[in-house]
Amino acid sequence: MKALILVGGFGTRLRPLTLSVPKPLVDFGNKPMILHQIEALKAIGVTEVVLAINYQPEVMLNFLKDFETKLGIKISCSQETEPLGTAGPLALARDKLIDDSGEPFFVLNSDVISEYPLNQMIAFHKSHGGEASIMVTKVDEPSKYGVVVMEESTGQVEKFVEKPKVFVGNKINAGIYLLNPSVLDRIELKPTSIEKETFPKIASEKLLYAMVLPGFWMDIGQPKDYITGLRLYLDSLRRNDPSKLATGLHIVGNVLVHESAKIGEGCLIGPDVAIGPGCIVESGVRLSRCTVMRGVRIKKHACISSSIIGWHSTVGQWARVENMTILGEDVHVCDEVYSNGGVVLPHKEIKASILKPEIVM
Amino acid sequence: MKALILVGGFGTRLRPLTLSVPKPLVDFANKPMILHQIEALKDIGVTEVVLAINYQPEVMLNFLKDFETKLGIKISCSQETEPLGTAGPLALARDKLIDDSGEPFFVLNSDVISEYPLKQMIAFHKSHGGEASIMVTKVDEPSKYGVVVMEESTGQVERFVEKPKAFVGNKINAGIYLLNPSVLDRIELKPTSIEKETFPKIASEKLLYAMVLPGFWMDIGQPKDYITGLRLYLDSLRKNESSKLATGPHIVGNVLIHESAKIGEGCLIGPDVAIGPGCVVESGVRLSRCTVMRGVRIKKHACISNSIIGWHSTVGQWVRAENMTILGEDVHVCDEVYSNGGVVLPHKEIKSSILKPEIVM
Repeated sequence: MKALILVGGFGTRLRPLTLSVPKPLVDFGNKPMILHQIEALKAIGVTEVVLAINYQPEVMLNFLKDFETKLGIKISCSQETEPLGTAGPLALARDKLIDDSGEPFFVLNSDVISEYPLNQMIAFHKSHGGEASIMVTKVDEPSKYGVVVMEESTGQVEKFVEKPKVFVGNKINAGIYLLNPSVLDRIELKPTSIEKETFPKIASEKLLYAMVLPGFWMDIGQPKDYITGLRLYLDSLRRNDPSKLATGLHIVGNVLVHESAKIGEGCLIGPDVAIGPGCIVESGVRLSRCTVMRGVRIKKHACISSSIIGWHSTVGQWARVENMTILGEDVHVCDEVYSNGGVVLPHKEIKASILKPEIVM
Repeated sequence: MKALILVGGFGTRLRPLTLSVPKPLVDFANKPMILHQIEALKDIGVTEVVLAINYQPEVMLNFLKDFETKLGIKISCSQETEPLGTAGPLALARDKLIDDSGEPFFVLNSDVISEYPLKQMIAFHKSHGGEASIMVTKVDEPSKYGVVVMEESTGQVERFVEKPKAFVGNKINAGIYLLNPSVLDRIELKPTSIEKETFPKIASEKLLYAMVLPGFWMDIGQPKDYITGLRLYLDSLRKNESSKLATGPHIVGNVLIHESAKIGEGCLIGPDVAIGPGCVVESGVRLSRCTVMRGVRIKKHACISNSIIGWHSTVGQWVRAENMTILGEDVHVCDEVYSNGGVVLPHKEIKSSILKPEIVM
């Protein structure tokens, strides 16, 4: 079985992290974002994953070679030379997605994090016999999104309404599709929107069905949602795989600590914290609702909340870092500095406090 | 004869331009910054240039291969694995700088733009018979810099005073040195400051001489000084090589236009403008005190002043961009937008006006 992951563009919303690596390689829960999806696909028997990309192919390709071997799944790239939208890339990768088996193929959006109940989706797809299945998820504020209006008992999709002004439903496109090869016949190799052009056509022929995604869902393409997404992900880990979470007197709530990370004495870590490989957290550090990426050193008595600390950065003694502070790669926050929402580009030293949210370039 | 160019680090002050290329490759007056220096060195017979770098060596090395061939000068890199300051890199590159000839070698700071009167400097060096010569330049506000205190008639340097509170002189280190090989014996391979450690020592032995740099000088390592530097550079071009400047009823003051750029009707260009290769300036455009880099399209009736427009960007119709607007690579400003000092990272689209200076990431 095959899958396509829509990796897309420049990842500007996740800057400054994406100034160092392309977005799919930004770590989430201590592993590259895209690895969560590739592993979920492999787990249900997908043998080949195609990444639809248009930016930094060399970096992606190097990463892939690494993981092809480790995971035992074929990973290839399909590179756009012009932006093809959300459907065009499928046409571009056509030859890689179709084989003689006639099996449907998955399409995933690379920014999405969820429990990936892909086996259930396959069963759903077979049971309704339509041409395409999409996952939908419930949200509180549907007016910000594209809402999928569907017949509740069968899941048959009636229509899509973009940013509805009146309430038409509260389910939005979760960015996970299972499509029959015939869908590719509907998509030309030109910039095309799957939500505005392809799916509405299939829906009008009553061949599009939506399944409500069980479990959590988050588009982690921007820092605020990344941090919320980590909470949801760790919650899910607590339910399904709690042995992976850290335990101990110094741990509060759900905390993920890489085995190669070192935590000093007298720390209080959690809730909703991920600490990456090779990190050193010195004694007396307080961390909550934050991600600490590979190779970071947090010095004594520092206090960090609701923030993301980028690869190989250091946070000084007694530093206070909060309110969506995002440190890029190799950022060094001096002792006793306060950062209230500082967004710092890579290779910088922060010597003076940042009193209100701002970008430091 | 040999030369070392101190290229140094991350170029963070010239972001967002340096998010796309390392600083020495940022274009200044239509050619990479470092090419101005390499060409000046080649002109006076330097056969080998060593670039002391510590960031993005692959990008630099690719560029070099290109120019080694075109210019017929040997260019190599000396890469720091730890920051070595302003003198340490000389020790690191020792073997490349010394040969049996016993000739002195040049050291240039890569951020500096000037007329590079290197022949005069060689003559000066021979005439005083000391161990080291440095160029100094007059500034209005010496208290912001390191001031070189020298005996006016001979140029013999007495001492350096860092950011003097009382007036001690108005000549500062211009970042251009001519050094005897024996200077390398004074520098250990460790982080060392040439201004605070090496030069003061040589000065105390009365072997350091300073020559006042004729012509203009500018450290173009940050956008404001880059724009001032362009004015000085074009002034100098007007004096020395005026045929290179553009002429015509649509030109005001000093303007440099690459031969492959196209200018539409009814434009008014200048003063102090550089327009790079492949640019398209549509009709009715007003440009003053700005740099337009390779591949940029400026649409009709736009008005740009005191700004830098990065490679392959587009500026929409009737756009007004002013007051140190810096657009990174591939930035697209929509029609009728106003930018007052917007600093925009690469690969962004600006759909709404930027009313006060801010970074758009």
